Amino acid sequence: MNTNVSGNAYVLTALCPVRNDCTEDGVAYANKVRDLLQEWNFEQNSPMAKVPGTYLCRFFVLDDVLTESLPTGSALDVVRDLSPYVTNAMRQHAMPRNDRLKSRYLVFTATFHGGPAADLDGYLRGMWQVIGDRIREVWCYCYGFNQVNDADTFIRYIKSCQLSAALFFNGSNDETLEAQLKGLYLKQELSRFAGENQGLSPVELRKNFAAFLERVAPADLSGPMWTPGQYRL
Amino acid sequence: MTTQLDLADIQGYILRVYGRSFPVSRHVFLNIRDTGSASSNKAGVACDPRNFVREITKYVTTAVEWGNGPNQIPKPQYTLNIAFTYQGLKALGVPRASLHGFSAEFASGMKQRRDILGDDGPSYPDNWDPIWKENRETRDEDVHIFIAISAPDDEMLEARYHWLTGLIGKYQAWVKILGGHRGDNGELLDYQDTRPVRENGQYTAKEHFGYTDGIGDPVFEGNPKNQMNVQGRGKQMADGSWQPLATGEFLLGHIDEAHEYPPAPLPTLLARNGTYMVYRKLHQNVATFEAYLEEHGKKYSGGKELLAAKFVGRWRDNGAPLVKAPDIESKAWFDSQLAAAWQRGDYDTCDRMLSHFTYDDDMSGAKCPFSAHIRRVNPRASLQMIKGEKPGSMISNKDAFDTPGSLANRRRILRRGSTYGEVTDRSSDQGNHGVIIMAINADIARQFEFVQQQWINYGNDFQAGSDREILLGNHGAGGERFTSKAVLPVEPDSDEVPYFLTRIPRFVETRGGDYFFVPGMTALYMIAHGVIDPT
Repeated sequence: MNTNVSGNAYVLTALCPVRNDCTEDGVAYANKVRDLLQEWNFEQNSPMAKVPGTYLCRFFVLDDVLTESLPTGSALDVVRDLSPYVTNAMRQHAMPRNDRLKSRYLVFTATFHGGPAADLDGYLRGMWQVIGDRIREVWCYCYGFNQVNDADTFIRYIKSCQLSAALFFNGSNDETLEAQLKGLYLKQELSRFAGENQGLSPVELRKNFAAFLERVAPADLSGPMWTPGQYRL
Repeated sequence: MTTQLDLADIQGYILRVYGRSFPVSRHVFLNIRDTGSASSNKAGVACDPRNFVREITKYVTTAVEWGNGPNQIPKPQYTLNIAFTYQGLKALGVPRASLHGFSAEFASGMKQRRDILGDDGPSYPDNWDPIWKENRETRDEDVHIFIAISAPDDEMLEARYHWLTGLIGKYQAWVKILGGHRGDNGELLDYQDTRPVRENGQYTAKEHFGYTDGIGDPVFEGNPKNQMNVQGRGKQMADGSWQPLATGEFLLGHIDEAHEYPPAPLPTLLARNGTYMVYRKLHQNVATFEAYLEEHGKKYSGGKELLAAKFVGRWRDNGAPLVKAPDIESKAWFDSQLAAAWQRGDYDTCDRMLSHFTYDDDMSGAKCPFSAHIRRVNPRASLQMIKGEKPGSMISNKDAFDTPGSLANRRRILRRGSTYGEVTDRSSDQGNHGVIIMAINADIARQFEFVQQQWINYGNDFQAGSDREILLGNHGAGGERFTSKAVLPVEPDSDEVPYFLTRIPRFVETRGGDYFFVPGMTALYMIAHGVIDPT
């Protein structure tokens, strides 16, 4: 079973190694990537809002794994500790290995509408087509990205960095992004309608509701609705 | 395990509500003059602001019980209590290493925390009373010390205030009173008075909107005052019974509901039996409230008084909770029972009638709406809800947590304080009248600020989207396009329709305040003598 898929939702997690190098003015590439991504916060909206089907996505630079404290000893450890025959070197050898990452990583995780076919290729193709320039601007500091020059090579690249992880965004449902945005819009408008029209006679209510339906056009996904990336109602 | 609190080490108003014996209070705020001499932690400096604290400490009212029995003292003629802002502790020479142990929000102060508290628009600090507006802007106008006197009547209050100003005068080289409290007619006063709202010349338990206030304060372990009334006021256990909340929710240096000591400064003695107080002056827009209630009371099928009750979750006249008295008929029966208990002097029964309830039979909010005041500030076990089968219904999911109150027990607050000012014209929002909130908690961010931010000014935990609490919410923050609403639900299988409160205006505006540390007596002594050693 593909753990990256739940219904129509697909979750992509990619760890792209950042080159261990620095810019002409001495800024580490990983820091440059972080700076560039933080600049996105100051734009009207993230470039990712333009990428079709994106429910939620996240970028961050992973410097290294965190060291957690050593596990507490089992009964066997206690026996070993008390035993005069176990040398210190042996004890240290038995300790869990301390893992380190070989490089810093650009982590990209996105939950999107993959549809019944779990179409990762389609999503990445759409991403490349819409914000290819912005992708290059950030990813150009990663190992192997110089091989990327079109949608197909971008898809291949991301897939080679893909990690099997189920970091789902729990706030969306199974519908397409457009259907969800329309749903949120309708919910908000209906609540407003209810407040503004309570207490009216059935005749007036019906009349106003007909006008309401015409205005909000529930079935029309090209009609009034929230826009992707909109965070204020 | 029963906690025995050292009552002589705890300031009196933490454990006791003074109102019944000492209904009138005066709050005086002092600035410690910038003379530089208290910057060292050296004890015994002759002329130093700590001498003032040392002097006033002799008069501080502790939590020792009043009476003629063992370990009791005669009831005092007045009470006096003291607290300090972060700047105040700094000015008194509390060592830096100890200062760093106080919480970040206490160090920042209420003004800096305005975004979290929702103090925007008319509640923005620019509109606060001058004392609070100028606080934390310049060293000379910083509020450092809070002193509260409570008295049985105005005569005693004036007498004690006269005495206090004399004492302050004696130390005027070191401390000064900060004026700038707006009075009834907009005049600026040197103090903030609180007194109960009067009806026909008699003091009542009501605030300016007409609600009976001060019911159901939390009960915690070790407080000898209210162990009788733990039902509905403590924490609910898995078997449905009630226990007092952990002492550490309200007093530093004691174990809290997470079975650990709440974060506190070192040395331990500085924190033990002390706590934090949120002091907050809230103006009540009486005309706006009355007009809104009038307008919607005409449209709402239950009528004006039931609507007023829906705002808060209690009926205005006697505080009867809606979950026990959801309509006129049940209210009449409740009233008769309450009146009978009151007449026989059975105040415990009265308290239980008013406080002992849950929302178990009202999970869908048909009786007490999700945005009603008491449900928001103390949701009891009601947050553990999931959608039921019937559309619009919610059901309890108690198995999700160890005890029914798991989501509420760490958000409780002791409420002290009272009303201030008089409403002379109910058709005007002008004037200066409202409530002084004095919220006592061991962790301002976890308790007071969380309730304010997540439960009063946001509704997600109550499955109410971004709906705010009806009475205290910072309505109008979104302007004309994003008006505030609240829903009064009905029973899921009812033929009635829910009522929408639309375009809710701001009924209550912040007029100032700050965060204070209320030390225990040992700590107060240490602060006064400059003998705090954090190492």
